[in-house]
This record gives sequence, structure tokens and C-alpha cells, in this order.
Amino acid sequence: MGGLMENHLVKDLMVPISEYATVVVGTSLIDAILTLEKAQETYTMRKYMHRAVLVLDESGQVVGKISQLRALKAIQPDHKAHEEIERLKAFNFSDNYIAQLRDLYRSHGKIMSDHSLRQAATKKVEEFMQTPSPGEFVSENSSLDTAIQRLVAGTHLSLLVTRDDKIVGILRISDVFAAVFHKMTSLDN
Amino acid sequence: MKELQKLFNRIVQRVNINLRELKFDVSPYADALIPPDQMNKFYAFYGITPDHPLDLHFEHSALAGSYFLGKCRVRNSLLYKSDIRGDELKRKNDVRKFNSFTITLTKDEIIDIEDSALVKTLVHNYSHDPETPEKFFIKDTLAMDYANIHGAPSDGCFLGPFATVDLTTMRDCVIGAYSYIQAGEINHLKVDPGTIWVNSPGNFNFFYKYPQEPLAHYVSLSPDNVPWGILIDFIDERKDQFQRVFDFVNLDTIESVPETASLDRYAVVLPNIKIADNVLVAQRAYIENSSLGKGANAQENCFIINSCLEGYNVTAHGAKIIEARLGSNVFVGFNSFLYGKKESRLKIGRGCVIMPHTIIDVDQPLEIPEEHIVWGLIRNSEELRTNSMSLAELASVECSFTKGRMHFEGKGALLVNAFKERIQHILEANGAFFEDGANAGHAQRNQKLSLNTIQPFQFGEMVGMYPSIRILP
Repeated sequence: MGGLMENHLVKDLMVPISEYATVVVGTSLIDAILTLEKAQETYTMRKYMHRAVLVLDESGQVVGKISQLRALKAIQPDHKAHEEIERLKAFNFSDNYIAQLRDLYRSHGKIMSDHSLRQAATKKVEEFMQTPSPGEFVSENSSLDTAIQRLVAGTHLSLLVTRDDKIVGILRISDVFAAVFHKMTSLDN
Repeated sequence: MKELQKLFNRIVQRVNINLRELKFDVSPYADALIPPDQMNKFYAFYGITPDHPLDLHFEHSALAGSYFLGKCRVRNSLLYKSDIRGDELKRKNDVRKFNSFTITLTKDEIIDIEDSALVKTLVHNYSHDPETPEKFFIKDTLAMDYANIHGAPSDGCFLGPFATVDLTTMRDCVIGAYSYIQAGEINHLKVDPGTIWVNSPGNFNFFYKYPQEPLAHYVSLSPDNVPWGILIDFIDERKDQFQRVFDFVNLDTIESVPETASLDRYAVVLPNIKIADNVLVAQRAYIENSSLGKGANAQENCFIINSCLEGYNVTAHGAKIIEARLGSNVFVGFNSFLYGKKESRLKIGRGCVIMPHTIIDVDQPLEIPEEHIVWGLIRNSEELRTNSMSLAELASVECSFTKGRMHFEGKGALLVNAFKERIQHILEANGAFFEDGANAGHAQRNQKLSLNTIQPFQFGEMVGMYPSIRILP
């Protein structure tokens, strides 16, 4: 890991996209989760497991990402209504009012019921995936300094690593964290 | 490439640059928006009146079928059948209060339109932006059919068809079709179609969003298409009547209009109508087989058909009232569509407030009790129960409540008072209370208004563009 830090480049720490969990548009939530589990079993290079699935379009381009948080949001009954409630923040409604609404909707439907979970399992990934925002990309030849700034500024759990116009890998916060603090502790010694 | 096309491309690019953060590309909507072959077919016209300062300045612009009144500058812009009404602009030495600031105007306010395209859009009222009290700016903005820019300076925005922004400064925003926004100031906001938002920070916050599928029956917008839906069809079915009033230089005077009322020369009036004292009917309004009681008004792009308005009614810009009876002091907000039928008429009680952008479309008779506030989509009595309440009940709200798709936070009494004050102001401004020479407003002043026309280039590279010209008293 110390050698990696000397290079200071994103490509040295990223997970190549071929080793990452990917699904195509149209895949159901349950199949996406199974794909993630399988990728976790086969990926033993580093101690941190994959926690997200990338969504690809027909041409293999990354069009979205499903984190654990996204998957949990998707299993809330009437998750569209929850999205609408979240949108009210942009229209100057107070946190208190939004919390009240969330409670109201929560009382309408239980998440942990067989019926709700069966329904959620069939949702298509494009219905709840997160589309990448402009600050979520980093070039493979960027320095780790750049990557850290982007992770922190955007509170991202990972960045999409690009080579020209193509996405070639994922830079995970866990790998950056491990590398940075490995270096820090070695300085102390 | 002709100058008109170059100008249009430049405007689209400027709007897109402003909206890049919202990832909104106006190009597909813009391409079908303005037919270049129509831009030289309609003259522009302007009002001359002793009551409003005159200073019109047109530079490198196309103005087909558009109307101007007061002080206005238009540069590098494309206006199609739009109304730029500067009859409520502030004047030199006017004093305005904003929070703890007292602002004295050092010159007359001007509407300043630059690098923008406005289609069948109404621009009215005055800048409520304390930072630019002397300039009501509209810059890098694209507004589609029947949008209302009402006291709402705009920089880098897109307004969909039938969108209204009211008393709000907007920067880099996308306002979806049939949305109504009154929020003081908005920035970098993308508003879904059919969003009704009235926010007075610290006082009250009202929000309703139309269900998208039913709304699409009334107004729809998709890339590479002109807008369509029941609202568009309704207007298109009557556009030949407007053609007639714009084609003729002199129309027959309607004898039955009292001296204290004003019936605009560019309004469509079809038999049989009754107009009482102090009534105002604005240009591009359409009145057919209806009665307007004392002090009632019908503003631009209003349609009143087979209906009776008992008096002191406000029918705001773009509102449509069909097969209905309205008690006195009923307020019908911007672009509302009250669609009764011959066999299922609509009755609205005295003092009701129909919120802006309300759609009532019924196949059974429907009666709204007096002193009620109504919003959103209403197609039957059950939807009326969900989307209405008495003004007294609303005034008693102290904190927050939710009803159907509507959200409210704040003090209900403040919203009720704000509406009552606004309605009173509109009636006063329109001259509804004129008596014995006092309290004159638009209804009386508009009688001292004459019109001039200006023509575009008919041939060559500049076809459809207007010569640069400055018009002063």
C-alpha cells in the first residue's frame, strides 16, 4: 500500500470495472442484489467488500449506481411518495414538517412484510438507481489529492474513474481511506 | 442563414448555457416553437396614452403580433403575439418599502427584454426585486405559449406553456407547464409541471402538485412538438374570432358599453353580452353570451362564455370561465380553467377564491359554497371536498396541515389576508370602484388610449425582423 501512495494516482487504487458488480437496465432489484452477493464472493483482492452495483445501458456505458442506501430506499412502500416528500425541501418546507409527513406515510405501510418485500423485489433498477452527478467522475491519471477532495466535497462513497470518455473503474472511499491512514500511521512510526 | 434564424439560435444557446446546471436543453422545445414563416405576417402595435410615459426602444428584434405599452426596451429578442404591458411600472420618485429598506426611485421603471424569446406571453406589473427597482429585466429567457411573467424579473429561465411566475425574481430556473410560482425569489430550481407554489417565507407556504397523468390531458409538452391538450384545443377552436379583430383597422363600436367601462378594441365580443359600470375587458380577452356585473374584469387571454359574473369579480390573466355563475367578489386566479357544461353548470358562491391554475371540469352540476378557497384538479364533488375548504377554516390554521395533494405550513390567516388584499388592489387598479370621477383605474384610463402599428421587413435577409426604432413622445 505504501508504494501505491508514492504514485499518488487514482488508477493505482481503483477497482477495474470488470471486477465490479454490474447489471444492465431492466434488471430487477432482487437480481441486482444477487449479482452483488456473487461479486462479493469472488472479489477477495482487498478486505473491503463491494457495497454497490453499477447499472449499464445496452452499449455498456455506466448510467447509474445502486448503493445499499438506494436499495433500502427502494423497498419503502410508495417510495415515489417518499421522493415527493423529499422534494418539498426545495420548496422551503421545514425539516419538522417533512418529518411529520414521513411519519404519516410510514404509518400507512409496513416495510418488513412479505407482501411489501415481494413487490419491492420486482422493481427495475432504473426506477431507483442514482444517476451520476458531474462531481462524481475522476480521471484515472488524477492524483489522490483530487480524488479525496471530490469524495469529501460531494460526500460520495465512490467515484467513477474515466479514461477519455469511458468509465474504466471505481474508486471506493474504503480503499482511499485505507491507503491514506496506512500512510499516516507509517509516518508516526 | 437568415437573420431571424441566427437570432433564434443565439437565444436558444444563451438559455441553454444558463440552464446547464439543471441539465435542461431547451432546443427540442424551441425548434417547434416559432414558425419563421409567420414572423412577417403580423404587425406589432403599441398604445399611446396621456397616463403612461412612452419610451419604446426596439433593436435587432422580431415582434410579430406583439403589443407594447409604457416604457420598454427590446434587444436581440424574438416576441410572438406577446403582450408587454407597462401600465403598472413604478415612476420616478416613487418610494417603496422592502423589509427595513426604503427605496426611492431615481427614474421611471422600464421593462428590459434582452436575448429572449417570448411566445404568446404576457408581461405585466412591475419588478418586485429590491435590487433592481428601476428595471424589470427579462434576459436569456424562453417562455412558451400563454406563459405569464407577472412582476417577475427573469434571468436564464425556461417557462413551459401556461406557466406563471408571479411577483418573484427567478434565475436559472425551469418552470414546468401549467405551474404557478409566487415565492419572492428562486434560483437554480427545476419545477415539475402543474406545481402550484405560493410561499411567503416566515408567514405561509402553500404547495400542490397535479397528478401528472390527468394534467397531461389538459396540457402536454414533449420535445419536437408544439404543446397540445384540452387547453390548447379550447383556444385554437376560437382563434379565427381573434383573427377578425386583428385584421380590421376599424371595428363597429358596441353601443351597450357604459362610459365608465372599457372594452378593448382587441378583445373578441360575441352576442349577447351585458357590461355594467367600471368593467374592464382587456385585449385578447374573449367574451361570449355573458354578463359582467359592476366592477368585474376580464384580463388578457381570458375567456368568459355562457356565464354570469355578478360584480367585483377578478378574472386574472388567462382564466377561462365556461357555463358558470359566479357570485360577487369571486376571484379566479391566473390560467384557471372552469369548464362547466350546458347540462352541468358550475355555481361559485360569493367571495370564493379560486387559486391560480385550478382546473374544474365537471359532467355533473357543481356548486361551491361561498367564502371557500379551491385549488388543483376538480372533476366531481368528491375531488371538490379534497381540494377546497372554507376561508374561515383556513384562517384558523396555526401551524400546518395536509389535505390530499396539498401541503400547507404557516399561519392560514396570513394567506387569506394576502389574497384579500391582493384582490382589493387588483379591483382598485382596474377602476372597479370608480365613482363621480374618483378612484379611476385601467377601465377608465384605457378609454384615452390610441394605437399605432409597426411593420417587419417583408423581404431579404431581414425578413420577419423589425427595423431598430425608438419611439418617444
